[in-house]
Amino acid sequence: MERIKDTYLVSEPSWLVGLRRNDPATIRSLYTHHFPTVRQYVLQNSGTTNDAQDIFQEAITVLWMNVKEGRFNTGADSDPGGFLFRVAKNKWLDTVRSAAHKHMKVVHDDRISAVGYDVDDDTEDRIVRLRGVYDKLDDKCKQVLDQYYFERKDLATIAESMGVEEESIRTIKYRCMMKLRAFRKTIAGEENNEAV
Amino acid sequence: MNQGTLDRTRFERIEAYVLGSMSVDEHALFEQELASDPALKAEMELQRENTLTIELGGMDRLLKSVSTEQRANGADLRTQGAGWKSYLKYAAIVAIVLSGAFWVMTRPTTNERLFAQHFEADPGLPVAMGSTTNLAFSDAMVAYKLGDYQEARDKWSILLKADPANDTLRYYIGSAALAMDDADAAIPFLERVAADPGSAFHDKAMWYLFLAYVQQGELAKAKALPLDNDTAYGERARAIKAELE
Repeated sequence: MERIKDTYLVSEPSWLVGLRRNDPATIRSLYTHHFPTVRQYVLQNSGTTNDAQDIFQEAITVLWMNVKEGRFNTGADSDPGGFLFRVAKNKWLDTVRSAAHKHMKVVHDDRISAVGYDVDDDTEDRIVRLRGVYDKLDDKCKQVLDQYYFERKDLATIAESMGVEEESIRTIKYRCMMKLRAFRKTIAGEENNEAV
Repeated sequence: MNQGTLDRTRFERIEAYVLGSMSVDEHALFEQELASDPALKAEMELQRENTLTIELGGMDRLLKSVSTEQRANGADLRTQGAGWKSYLKYAAIVAIVLSGAFWVMTRPTTNERLFAQHFEADPGLPVAMGSTTNLAFSDAMVAYKLGDYQEARDKWSILLKADPANDTLRYYIGSAALAMDDADAAIPFLERVAADPGSAFHDKAMWYLFLAYVQQGELAKAKALPLDNDTAYGERARAIKAELE
């Protein structure tokens, strides 16, 4: 039987398909190929390797979110390296401009001025909001939901790995998602009340 | 947004749409329904957002893990100098000596070893969605099955206060305590059930009580339990008793 998910465009770059599927090998590949450039930039501008890693992780998250929501323009930017560098660079500049880093000196880089910052702040705000919601879940819910929705394991595999029946996992999944739904309804209610 | 409850069948149908696991025909039909049912559309969008939330949590975890891997495999190790490997063998020798000394000091007694060898936590009861009349019990059972024994004990203990004669609660509180290696707490619960021949959990309670006594070194009490001829547990009980002689 033909499934909808089988009808993705085969002409898309493999890294984009991999990101959409949350593929660990794709993440590792992006890290290996594009982290050194970001690290070099951060190190040149008073940062550490740890700073570079934090910044790069955020940049990949922004890229991933854009891919997930169909906002990444593959025609204009089929190489994710440029996008990752721009996001990482701008995030680092924000850090440098912050009070804690105001004495740092920023080295000019042609790659910075040549291309504008084309990631809207909404994506980053959205990531912060979603993380806030995720943090409301208890560890048990995170464990089950992560395996099902992120790793895309089937119920039987999750059940076997956790030593419980498949029906129990199905029940836990449903209840945890209902907790998330109820939490969102609470947020929506609060926002409506503020608007009144 | 739909303010009511969302039953599981409807939830799983929306989920199949969001995850792209519907057949082409199901998908087309669902899209027709979305076009004519604003409540369904709102529910679908909410579920898509919740799914993305979970995926973001997974992505954060994966990125941390990849970052740690890269750090371990990358420049950090290379910059530590060529001589670091020579220290590994000395570290390994020290670790072996220390672990040997630690084992001698902390090795288990025969009772503890027999308990560990033969104890397997009761797998628990199946949890079905239909059991809405006893949701609190099921919640605790889910925790128990996932190994969250303390949470299960706490939840069942609350229920036991309202229903002190309930042998199922007593048995599973005892089982959870024993699974936490807390034989001392498990024994009173298991003793009550093992003393009730009419309980569906009588035989299992007897077996776990036997193991709890063994673990605690109360061998006279363990040997006094009439388990030798039990179909399910007799052979193992006799083997343990023989080792204790």
